[in-house]
Amino acid sequence: MILDRTAVILCVDDEENALTLRKRVLQKAGYEVLTALSGTEALEILRSRRVDLVLTDHLMPGITGIELARQVKSQHSEIPVVLLSGVNEIPIGADVADAFLSKVEGPDSLCEKVAVVLNRS
Amino acid sequence: MTPHEPVNILMVDDQIGKLLTYETILAPLGENLLRANSGREALESLLKTDVAVVLMDVSMPDIDGFQLADMIREHPRFDTTAIIFISAVHLTDVDRLKGYARGAVDYISVPIIPELLRAKVSVFAELYRKNKQLERLNLELEHRVAERTRELQDSEIQFRSLANSIPQLVWMAHADGSVFWYNQRWYDYTGTTVDQMKGLGWSSLVDQDHVARVAEGIQRSWSTGEPWEDTFPLRGKDGTYRWFLSRALPIRDASGHVARWFGTNTDITERKQAEDALVKSERLAAMGRLAGIIAHEINNPLEAISNAVYLLQDHSSLDEEARLYTQLANKEIARLAHITKQTLSFYRESHRPVTLSLSEILDNVIELQSRRLQLNSITVDKRYRTSGTIQGFPGELKQVFLNIIGNAVQAMPEGGRLRIQLFPSKERRTGRQGVRVSIHDTGMGIPVEHARQIFEPFFTTKETKGTGIGLWISKGIIQKYDGTIRFRSMRLKQGYGTCFSVFIPAVMATQSNESAAEMIAGGRTL
Repeated sequence: MILDRTAVILCVDDEENALTLRKRVLQKAGYEVLTALSGTEALEILRSRRVDLVLTDHLMPGITGIELARQVKSQHSEIPVVLLSGVNEIPIGADVADAFLSKVEGPDSLCEKVAVVLNRS
Repeated sequence: MTPHEPVNILMVDDQIGKLLTYETILAPLGENLLRANSGREALESLLKTDVAVVLMDVSMPDIDGFQLADMIREHPRFDTTAIIFISAVHLTDVDRLKGYARGAVDYISVPIIPELLRAKVSVFAELYRKNKQLERLNLELEHRVAERTRELQDSEIQFRSLANSIPQLVWMAHADGSVFWYNQRWYDYTGTTVDQMKGLGWSSLVDQDHVARVAEGIQRSWSTGEPWEDTFPLRGKDGTYRWFLSRALPIRDASGHVARWFGTNTDITERKQAEDALVKSERLAAMGRLAGIIAHEINNPLEAISNAVYLLQDHSSLDEEARLYTQLANKEIARLAHITKQTLSFYRESHRPVTLSLSEILDNVIELQSRRLQLNSITVDKRYRTSGTIQGFPGELKQVFLNIIGNAVQAMPEGGRLRIQLFPSKERRTGRQGVRVSIHDTGMGIPVEHARQIFEPFFTTKETKGTGIGLWISKGIIQKYDGTIRFRSMRLKQGYGTCFSVFIPAVMATQSNESAAEMIAGGRTL
């Protein structure tokens, strides 16, 4: 999708430091970033805010990233989801998300992946 | 002969009246009474039957009693036949009787006292019966001895052929522990001679590091009579040592004393190697699990640091020196990321293999490498002629291909072509059916001197960048699938070419029918 405005990314992670830094990286890349510390919080935000992409950590207490992706897809099928994980493995069931990215790939890869997925949808 | 079986009594007299009288007197004894009218008749009767007692008149017309007795005695068969002469007592007769020193001889004087005749005949008959029984028992005994001897010989032969046919080294020792016999296999293995092995000769073959313990243990058994067991290397005739499990059991006599020792040495070299390898691989698996956990735990903070440095490096407040520091930090972060990637799923993530497609795994790996492929301007040429559906563990297979493809990408910093082929294949050496993945690069090639070490642990050409375990782990993983991994590196028209080829046999692989054309994806730059 080609947006005539700044794309809004909802960034989800239970670790606050990581979340803040990731938000800054994405902001630097020119995105508007919303953050949520849990899947539940993310789903709440999605109800009230317009979001162009969800970027979520996989391993979180409560709702996992994959579970969140599944719920996003069932409620807002048009919103792409990028799954991020510290596990280098692509977890089973990750195909519900539009893309998977290992955390070790670094900020450049992250921004690229986000851009690719946004352009695709 | 049963104790009361009747015996033959031969009565010899030329007068029928006397014979009838003897018959009447002897009838109550219950023996068989035979009559002979003359010496000649008596001899005939003796030759035909076994006679216990000959009762005869001394004076007979053709052959007299003494002549008959001489004839009887000449024949060894009649050694034990008792002779009772009936005669009037003359001194001369008594003297002659003494001549028959051998055998039982007696006489009865006339007139005959019936009780006396009965008593004498009865004694001799009984004696004969007893002798016969004794003879029979003797014969039986001899038979039994012969049989037992034969059995022993047989069992000795059987024992020796058994002892020589089993794979173990077998030996026997006296109660004091001095070995007196080894089987052929012992001599074949050790290349020693009977003389060299006398007594404690065996101890010279035990590995020096073990000989003291072995000698002490075996000595303890000799003195306590307890079974002995130990494992140690034993030198073969070629000078190399193999591991043996050695045991000695005491053989006790009827009174419970140790009569001898029976020992075996079983070659356990292969088992020991397998056990050692298992221990090693288990240790490695545990290490891998730990490494996986640590890598995961590191990845999270690593991302945060990586993002922080990324944000910092372009920060307006940084002077040149500070920017240099962030660059150095970035390099080290990249190295850290590489290490944690290397350790990913060094172990199987679940106990059950799943149905997976190698083409998907390869696509996945290419996806993970996409950034670097693009940075290095590498063309990817995928040629899949099968989906490569197999039973396996996706994580570890992905690791294998991530490793090979990652190496290929690193070998082409100035760009090049990466060709990835997936096709049904038959292994030339074994004829096994399966799937093959081949990964070609046009990179810098692998020097011949590295060829032998490339699959060894901690071998790396990447200096500080590599951990040196990637290909070693990959090989280990492919071996778990009973597959093979090999490579070829050669000079091309321009530069070099390296091809890594992974074969996974059909036991794990299931062929699919997808059309080859559909699967071929032409060269494209990712």
